[in-house]
Amino acid sequence: MGSPKAALEWHGSTLLRRVTGIAARAVDGPVVVVKAPGQDLPGLAPEVEIAEDPVEGRGPLQGLAAGLQALEGRADAAFLSSTDVPLLHPRFVVRVLAALDDETDVALPIARGYPQPLAAAYRISLRPLVEALLAENQLKPAFLFEQCRVKRLGEDELLQGNKLATMDPALESVLNLNEPADYEAARARSAPLIRVQRFGALRRAVPDCPPEVHAATLGAAARQIGIELDDHVVAALNGDQISRDPELPLVAGDLVAFLAADAGG
Amino acid sequence: MLGVQSPPGGYFGNALVVDVSDGSAETLPLPSDVLRAYLGGVGLGTWLMHQLAPPGADPLSPEAPLAFVFSPLVGTPLTTSAKFAVVAKSPLTGMLTDALASSHFAIAGKLTGHDAIVVRGACERPSALVIDADGARLVDAEDLWGLSAQDAEDRLRERLGKSWRVASIGPAGENQVRYATVSHDGRHAGRGGLGAVMGSKLLKAIAVRPGPRPGLADQPRVVGLARELRERSFGPATAKYREMGTLANLLAFNEISTLPTRNFQEATFDGAPALAAENLAEARTVARDSCASCSIGCEHIYKKAGGGGGVRVEYENVFALGPLCGVSDADSVLAASSRCDELGLDTISAGGTIAWAMECAERGLIDAPWLRFGDGDALLRALDEIGNRTGLGDLLAEGSRNAATIVGHGADAFAVHVKGLELPGYEPRTLQAMALGLAVNARGADHNRSGAYEADLSGRFDRLSGGSPHAAAALDTEDRAAVMDSMILCKFLRGVFTEPWPEWAGLMSAVAGWDLTGEELHATAKRIVLAKRMFNLREGWTPADDTLPPRFLSESLEMASGRPASLSAETLRGMVTSYYGLRGLDADGQPSDEALADLHLEPVAV
Repeated sequence: MGSPKAALEWHGSTLLRRVTGIAARAVDGPVVVVKAPGQDLPGLAPEVEIAEDPVEGRGPLQGLAAGLQALEGRADAAFLSSTDVPLLHPRFVVRVLAALDDETDVALPIARGYPQPLAAAYRISLRPLVEALLAENQLKPAFLFEQCRVKRLGEDELLQGNKLATMDPALESVLNLNEPADYEAARARSAPLIRVQRFGALRRAVPDCPPEVHAATLGAAARQIGIELDDHVVAALNGDQISRDPELPLVAGDLVAFLAADAGG
Repeated sequence: MLGVQSPPGGYFGNALVVDVSDGSAETLPLPSDVLRAYLGGVGLGTWLMHQLAPPGADPLSPEAPLAFVFSPLVGTPLTTSAKFAVVAKSPLTGMLTDALASSHFAIAGKLTGHDAIVVRGACERPSALVIDADGARLVDAEDLWGLSAQDAEDRLRERLGKSWRVASIGPAGENQVRYATVSHDGRHAGRGGLGAVMGSKLLKAIAVRPGPRPGLADQPRVVGLARELRERSFGPATAKYREMGTLANLLAFNEISTLPTRNFQEATFDGAPALAAENLAEARTVARDSCASCSIGCEHIYKKAGGGGGVRVEYENVFALGPLCGVSDADSVLAASSRCDELGLDTISAGGTIAWAMECAERGLIDAPWLRFGDGDALLRALDEIGNRTGLGDLLAEGSRNAATIVGHGADAFAVHVKGLELPGYEPRTLQAMALGLAVNARGADHNRSGAYEADLSGRFDRLSGGSPHAAAALDTEDRAAVMDSMILCKFLRGVFTEPWPEWAGLMSAVAGWDLTGEELHATAKRIVLAKRMFNLREGWTPADDTLPPRFLSESLEMASGRPASLSAETLRGMVTSYYGLRGLDADGQPSDEALADLHLEPVAV
């Protein structure tokens, strides 16, 4: 690719900032980035934690082990993601995590023709097994799957009966960027289409606001409808999360409502 | 012996204490150290209640005092400073209540030559208390009894002259409805039933006429600060209030599942667009107005159906008489708001109590088949019956907590109050810093003494998952409110201060001549909050009072996003414990001896 994937730009953000932000939208617990020894990372939201991989170049199981260790005692399960998935959707993360049950250690999507171990859910309790495999130089996820309870999730199963079918029907959440051409193709895509609303004085300030805009971040959405995301304005994402973080990643189908930060009444 | 010599700038250094049983008046000296420790307004009013309210006194008995408390900033050119506090033991909660209001009454009242006017005793017949620089006297008010507060005010000013300013009660106050207001110039000291306290004394009105102003320590500096503050008051921090008023909250709150609906059974209301400022303003606005000495101008006056003048519209009255009662007809809600003004009813407690009754009626706990959610005519009928204490209104005039106790059969499960005070329009399950603020505040469920919703809506932490950060945020907003309510400045101005503590200390120092620092002022805030808590403790408060109604702790909401919003008793208790720790209170909510010694509560003889 010519440069670290984590720092690659996508519609005004970096891939790593975007993926961690989407993960944070999908889970209640911590978000951990596992970095290689000495690796420089692009800017991240302050709540994102960083764990260091003790050994470089030993593949995804090494990163998984470091991540599971960082989360031990604070979560029962983790969603593992690579950094090069700009179209990752929070609903996909929620769907995969929801597939874990008492009989399952790994929820493994089979999507777009391949198993997706870097878009899968893992029990935190797998750490000793992962470390044992690493000690035996068995570095591929397939070795792990041979020794634990794996629920494989086909596309139909992933999409059936949940909102993912409307939010990400082609399961582009797993579309990763392996070659420069993949990255160029991703950059050529429009930013996600989102709905926007303004309330109160902001409605008067921006009378001719389009109902939908293409924006990959909250800041981009605000700019496109002429709102300055300053101390006096906040945004509600899908009627739920409140933010004024301009780098908050947005995904297709989001509804962003801008309102006055001062709610005195 | 505490002596009073030359009072600080902006103060007269005394409170006038009037016994309306016989019209006698005494002057209570206010030592400079007490003024510096409590400032004025709510703070000084709290100190006065410690001094003058007999422990355990029935708030509606003659011995219960009622204080009108001014502040050193009143009468200065500082924007939004024409405010005063009315303070008493609440007949609704049995604890301290303080309500702020803004009008020329504040300026005229202070310029009678007193930092506070305290009323004790009870009149033999309906009377008005008349005070100016020449002293206090009682005048007959038989002809005013039964009038609305506005009509009584107009009549009394016709009799006394236009230089007089009047605060009055309406029929609800006369009938001792436990959430009756004290009103003046169309404004209301609303919460906690201060109008009932006044009514229990057969005191229809207080009229005041201004005399000479007190000196300011540094007049040029005050004028300069006032000019600067005025300029800042036109900025983006107050845009919401100027352009649409507080009703701008309604549709936004509906979007984020924070609009209490049908007695807090839901947090979104299908009828919200019909009541929203965004939709009503253009068709209904007839005027925009401001309080005396205010450059913000948040009052938006809407046209009522059938003429008869306009009605001031605020988020809280529309929320309480609209979504909370399931009423989406704008004409009905505006008429109900206007009716509350005429009767002298706190709209929040009126709406909250009626919403409770609507739920009880639908569940068969109250025999009132006419009273149903969504019925605007039933809402108006209920208000009339409450104000006049007729029919079902005699029960509802007691407030939701007391009424639920009388009804029994589990009706208390649907009474949405804290310490007896009905909740304002902020859903605590989806605003969990605010949940704590509502639970621990001395006045009861209150959005003006705790603005913790600011933290919930800041995006700094998850508003659906309360914890220690929420406790710190709630405490901070409570501290800031305590000082703003004591100086007094309007809280709609708070967003213009970037460094509030030192900036406020600068304002106070210029007026009073003190060398106040932001740190000292912050300590003052904590003292005022603690003094309120100590008054309640004296009147029977226990840690069990610092909680929320069972509905919030046992019923979950579903957000529009599909995410559940729930608040467990354990989570709330954890936040209360964090709050106690941050306040320096022990697990039972008791302060340290050191904190108590700082309260300046040594008795002062009157």
